[in-house]
Amino acid sequence: MDPQQLTPEQQKEMEEKLKNMSPEELMEFQKQQCIFCQIISGKIPSKKIYEDDKVLAILDINPAAKGHILLLPKEHYAIMPQIPEKEIGNMFVIAKRMSKLILKVLKVSGTNIFVANGLAAGQKVQHFMIHIIPRKEGDGILEAEGKLIDEEMRGKVKSLIEEKFNELLGVKKKVLQVEAESSDEEKEEPEEDGEERKEEKKKPSKKGKKKINKKKVVKEKKENKVEEENDDKDEEEEDDGGNASLDDIANLFK
Amino acid sequence: MKCEHCDIVERRSKIEILYEDEEVVVAIKDLSITPGQITVFPKQHFTILEGVPENILEKCSLIANKIGIAVFESLGSQGTNIMIQNGLGAGQKVPHFAIEVVPRVENDGINLTWEAKQLPEDEMETAFMTLEQGMKDLDSVEEKEVERKDEKGKDKKIAKEDDKDNYLLKSLRRIP
Repeated sequence: MDPQQLTPEQQKEMEEKLKNMSPEELMEFQKQQCIFCQIISGKIPSKKIYEDDKVLAILDINPAAKGHILLLPKEHYAIMPQIPEKEIGNMFVIAKRMSKLILKVLKVSGTNIFVANGLAAGQKVQHFMIHIIPRKEGDGILEAEGKLIDEEMRGKVKSLIEEKFNELLGVKKKVLQVEAESSDEEKEEPEEDGEERKEEKKKPSKKGKKKINKKKVVKEKKENKVEEENDDKDEEEEDDGGNASLDDIANLFK
Repeated sequence: MKCEHCDIVERRSKIEILYEDEEVVVAIKDLSITPGQITVFPKQHFTILEGVPENILEKCSLIANKIGIAVFESLGSQGTNIMIQNGLGAGQKVPHFAIEVVPRVENDGINLTWEAKQLPEDEMETAFMTLEQGMKDLDSVEEKEVERKDEKGKDKKIAKEDDKDNYLLKSLRRIP
């Protein structure tokens, strides 16, 4: 609904309504107004490239280049800091697949993965999205020139950001430590496999006592496991060698 | 091959590291679109996005998000751009995958944008059909990879059981 089409009375009424809304109601109202929420619910048609229960990837109707894909979380979030971590990771993994797809089927020499958080960063709609943009040299897309930043300035930036960033990481570390302390005498879960058990023996203090604790600890271990699996995958990909176009793009640097 | 990011990891560069762990490095590089730009990259050398393992990509994206939050709160930015330049044609300068976090303020004159095009409907439709078909092909290739991996996994399990047997045999032999 375009606010300019409302009469002054209607506009006043609307403002009054917005003021009296609870945060939940306001969120709901935003969703109702959001074009991308309507695309996700199917009220507005779109060209869908990929869909699962968390995300939707569609073609941008006003693209930077042919094949420009928008990757959207199905839940309404305005900016990246609002999104749960698990979903951010998942979205970047899917963005990688979309990029791979573009590099394979369109004749381009690169892709940009691009996020704009906030009006000042050029965000145009209130629904978070990752742009996956097919690129060719000289196409004039996202071509901001870099400048040299002197050491003094870099030092300043470092000292300003470091504390906040460590705080963001540090909070997590503290929580894990508390968990470890509060959960010393718990027995292992039967479904864990041999490798994890070995680790359990090495670090007995990390056994979870409460269910929530346990989940987090197990998750941490899973991460370790995933790493190993991925190492295998790497080797396999190298063995593969069939992925000519991607290799070409990677090899251009050599 | 010389790689600026590997040089940073191995301390052969003057560029300061803001954070590092076993897999990810965060650095403030000297060539930036704007002061305060932060670069997040995997420690291991991967040239392009497509080569980065999922768990490392996830970790990089989460750290980039945290850097974004830190930038919002400590540099007084009004926005951030999170950007991956993937391939020479996309403006990638260093042959080592990285996520750039660019702090933004209103009217900062930074040209991180593009001209939105209105493509003819038939052109959009061909692009859509090409990508749709490509997606199906990609899915089937990945399914096959998963199947193959499963088989590999089985082999490994068998091998492990063998090891176990060997271990038992060895310890049996040790019994006087």
